[in-house]
Amino acid sequence: MFGRKSGSGKRFQHNTAGYLFISPWLIGFLLLTLWPILQSLYLSFTEYSLLDSPVWVGTDNYSTITTSDRLFVKSLVVTFTFVLFAVPIKLLFSLLVAMLLNKNVKGMSIYRTLIYFPSLIGGSIAVAALWRNMFGLEGYINHILSWFGIQGIGWIANPDTALGTLILLNAWQFGSTMVIFLAGLKQIPKDLYESASVDGAGAFRKFYNITLPMLSPVMFFNLVLGIINAFQMFTSAFVITNGGPANSTYMYVLFLYEKAFRQYQMGYASALAWILLLIIGVFTLINFTVSKYWVHYEAEGGKSR
Amino acid sequence: MKKSGPLLKTLAVGALASVVVLSGCGSNKDNAGSNASNGGSGSADKAANLKIMWWGSDVRHEATQKALGLYTAANPKVTFTPEYTNWDGYWQKLPTLAASKTLPDIMQMDAAYIQGYVKRGLLADLSDIDLSGIVDEQVIENIKIDGKVYGIPLSYNGQGMVYDKVALEEAGITLPTNNWTWEDFFAYAEEARAKLPKDKYPIDDLRNIWEWYQFYQTSKGLGPIFKDGTTFNLDKDTWFEFNSKYAEFQKAGIVPPADLQLSSKENDPQTDTFGTGRVMLRGASVGSATAIEALLPGGRIAVNSYPIGEAGGGWAQSTIFFSVSEGSSNKAQAKEFIKWFISNEEAGKTLGTVRGIPINNDILKSIEGSLTAGEQLGIDLLNAAKPKALPFYPAPAGAEDFVSTYKSEMESVMFGQNSLEKVYETLVEKGKAAEAKLK
Amino acid sequence: MMTEKQSSWKNHLLLIPFSLLMIYPVIWWIGASLKSQTELSLPTLWPDKFMWENYTNGWTYSSQYTFAKFFGNTLVMEFWNVLGGVLTAALVGYGFGRLNFRFRNFWFSVLLMTLMLPSQVTIVPQYILYTKLGLTDSYIPLILPHFFGGGAFFIFLVVQFIRGIPRELDEAAQIDGASVYGIFFRIIGPLIKPALYTVGIFTFLWSWDDFFAQLLYLSSVEKFTVGLGLRMFIDQFEVQWGQLLAMSLLSVVPSAIIFFLAQKHFVEGIATTGIKG
Repeated sequence: MFGRKSGSGKRFQHNTAGYLFISPWLIGFLLLTLWPILQSLYLSFTEYSLLDSPVWVGTDNYSTITTSDRLFVKSLVVTFTFVLFAVPIKLLFSLLVAMLLNKNVKGMSIYRTLIYFPSLIGGSIAVAALWRNMFGLEGYINHILSWFGIQGIGWIANPDTALGTLILLNAWQFGSTMVIFLAGLKQIPKDLYESASVDGAGAFRKFYNITLPMLSPVMFFNLVLGIINAFQMFTSAFVITNGGPANSTYMYVLFLYEKAFRQYQMGYASALAWILLLIIGVFTLINFTVSKYWVHYEAEGGKSR
Repeated sequence: MKKSGPLLKTLAVGALASVVVLSGCGSNKDNAGSNASNGGSGSADKAANLKIMWWGSDVRHEATQKALGLYTAANPKVTFTPEYTNWDGYWQKLPTLAASKTLPDIMQMDAAYIQGYVKRGLLADLSDIDLSGIVDEQVIENIKIDGKVYGIPLSYNGQGMVYDKVALEEAGITLPTNNWTWEDFFAYAEEARAKLPKDKYPIDDLRNIWEWYQFYQTSKGLGPIFKDGTTFNLDKDTWFEFNSKYAEFQKAGIVPPADLQLSSKENDPQTDTFGTGRVMLRGASVGSATAIEALLPGGRIAVNSYPIGEAGGGWAQSTIFFSVSEGSSNKAQAKEFIKWFISNEEAGKTLGTVRGIPINNDILKSIEGSLTAGEQLGIDLLNAAKPKALPFYPAPAGAEDFVSTYKSEMESVMFGQNSLEKVYETLVEKGKAAEAKLK
Repeated sequence: MMTEKQSSWKNHLLLIPFSLLMIYPVIWWIGASLKSQTELSLPTLWPDKFMWENYTNGWTYSSQYTFAKFFGNTLVMEFWNVLGGVLTAALVGYGFGRLNFRFRNFWFSVLLMTLMLPSQVTIVPQYILYTKLGLTDSYIPLILPHFFGGGAFFIFLVVQFIRGIPRELDEAAQIDGASVYGIFFRIIGPLIKPALYTVGIFTFLWSWDDFFAQLLYLSSVEKFTVGLGLRMFIDQFEVQWGQLLAMSLLSVVPSAIIFFLAQKHFVEGIATTGIKG
């Protein structure tokens, strides 16, 4: 009854067409992506310096990680904290701003580009210099705070606040999430709103009964991917704080990277990667399971089962 | 009733296909790294294309490529495929090349990394290159690993100190003198604190830099933290003495507060505590001299030696090399080239000081007239460091975990979030773990 | 229409300071790119002396190739990346999002799984794979994943968009005799244009800065991308900040332009499609 295959009625199976359409991805996956993934799984059971050949050690890596690696715990804590704050903040901002930018105001293209701009520079080398300048001891934030007589601290260099600056950076670069919301908003047929107006609905009712449900597939997407990406945050921690000070910004993937490329322990790093995959997988599974309660797929004619 | 048939079949076919493709192409392409027309380290007369890789900035790239052109002009049978990138990228790419067994014929090496590569047999033994008259014998001795030469040194390096002469004189502080002791150093710090304005500091707080402590320990004749590169040797009393002193300094404001200190990025014009005039004196390597001079130009900077203990202090030896890959099929040609690189006068003039102070004294003399202020600063640092230099003790391969733990643990101490006793226990634990790997 | 005009200037009141807030660090960036090395340590926004040379020197920093070459290389690569990304996302997204076929959910889970494994541990085996195929020092390893095997993020995005399109449209077309292929080309395809433009923009933006892959797979300088070219300003001990900031600012400009031009395509909503019959 609730099998996904039967769907909402007479859904036919299109095996040939289905596989044909997904063939670009499937072929690429089997030929190019699968082997490196299987290799990394294999390597997780080895000791591998990259400079040597891998040496089989069985589950040693996994047992060390789960029982005696303090840094593993630390990096998990840092990462979970990051995910806990960065994802909701980003989602909220993105949605609000997307709605703001959805209007037909003159010069909207320019506003959108300006607001999106921070997201363009994410991978840029200059981001480190920028952020250090904003949040450094002699930086702009402190400059502005001094106008109010508040003595700023070295936000980036202080273990209590360094992670906060990275969360802020992540929020500042909400552009992509926002753009996806925008595209989703634009996909909502206008006549839905018009008929609601005719029925006398106010702005809030419209938002609650039309916008939110129609936007929910996209919201779901942003949530799932937001979590997946937040868990794997690497670049800003690497480029701006390098995990410090005192490991307060030691994100999990940074830990993994150091093990792989700085400490010549690619096997250990691979084990870390698969553990992360497991963790993210669990969260994603939860997300998918819970989604049937709040995500509305128009294609399935109402709440998806 | 799901038939696993099609699924398994698809996976199997895909996996089989991958394996076939890979193994088929594998055998021929394995030697892609050294595309020699003839195998073996044959005579140096045979033609060869040498794959050569180095790190640096564009100035170094240009000069090096000119030099390569000079060599090919004089030896038409030898051509080059150069590859270069910056420091960070280099140390990400090189291990990847090693993993795919495509290391270049000639690669630039750094003293901090070379042991890892030697340990795994990736570098060729270059002891048979005759460097008499080209490089000082003592220099060669210093860089030998297990009695063999695995990298030909390209330049001199060393560690001394720099200070803002103008600022110290203005404040009426006694200037440091060469070969001063650790007691002199601490005395300077205390005197300077009394005479400097509140927002300036005499010295940096380097408790999170393990090498800084190691200088202290080795200068007292107690040996490096990993004796002989294998035995963990952190002297408890000395370590506690050293860190307690700095803790007092932090309380007395003799060193910058933790967040100012940790936001300092070496040689970065925005945040370097020395470059921004917050700290008056710090250690400096010969290699970074031009960068430092650019921070405080105009002759403000004066040079001094490291604090010297009973056994000596600081270090002065080569840290940048050219190594040859053990898997190269062009070893003879590579060795010829490297020898030419450091001894040929025209090459020397073309290269100048892009890799630091040239290792060959004749070449150094020939370019002495045209040195910039930064380069001259480098030579001054080298001369200050040489007299009482101790050997350079890099972290042995396998101790990387210890090093990164040292840094983060001490940073938490600097922020008052941890006690020295607890940190000491952690360090001993990590040190012993590293030792187990090193033996 | 009175309300529209009023809300119009209220909007501006909100938008202008917000935009400024977002863009403020970039304003600092512009100012800093015009400063000399020594002035960089000062907390001023604008330099005393405008070093326009940072831009000209930076552009021609390498004696072999100017940044024109690097920009050219990168733009060509981006063309192929975007083409591959959009095509794959559309086709594969339709397959997963609209069609029912055996093991669909299994493969979809595999697709998602590829997003959850950090690339740092697959990049070395992948490099070894490409080495064996003899494809190093070329753009192929960078472009190929966009056509085959990559783009999971975008495929999933398109899937979500497609699931938001009511099935009545498909059914109406079916009654008219359209096959699933026809439905894709004539019905769904046009409707997911906003999503596809999004895919295109993001493919462009995110592959621009993919440093590690570019570092590994491109060896000859003549093939360098802008990202690799920027590394020339960084040495072991010092950084040519003025030029680095100037060139990295320029490096962001194409992305900004593409975004500016393309955005109207995904915000031009769908006109009424006669859903309600």
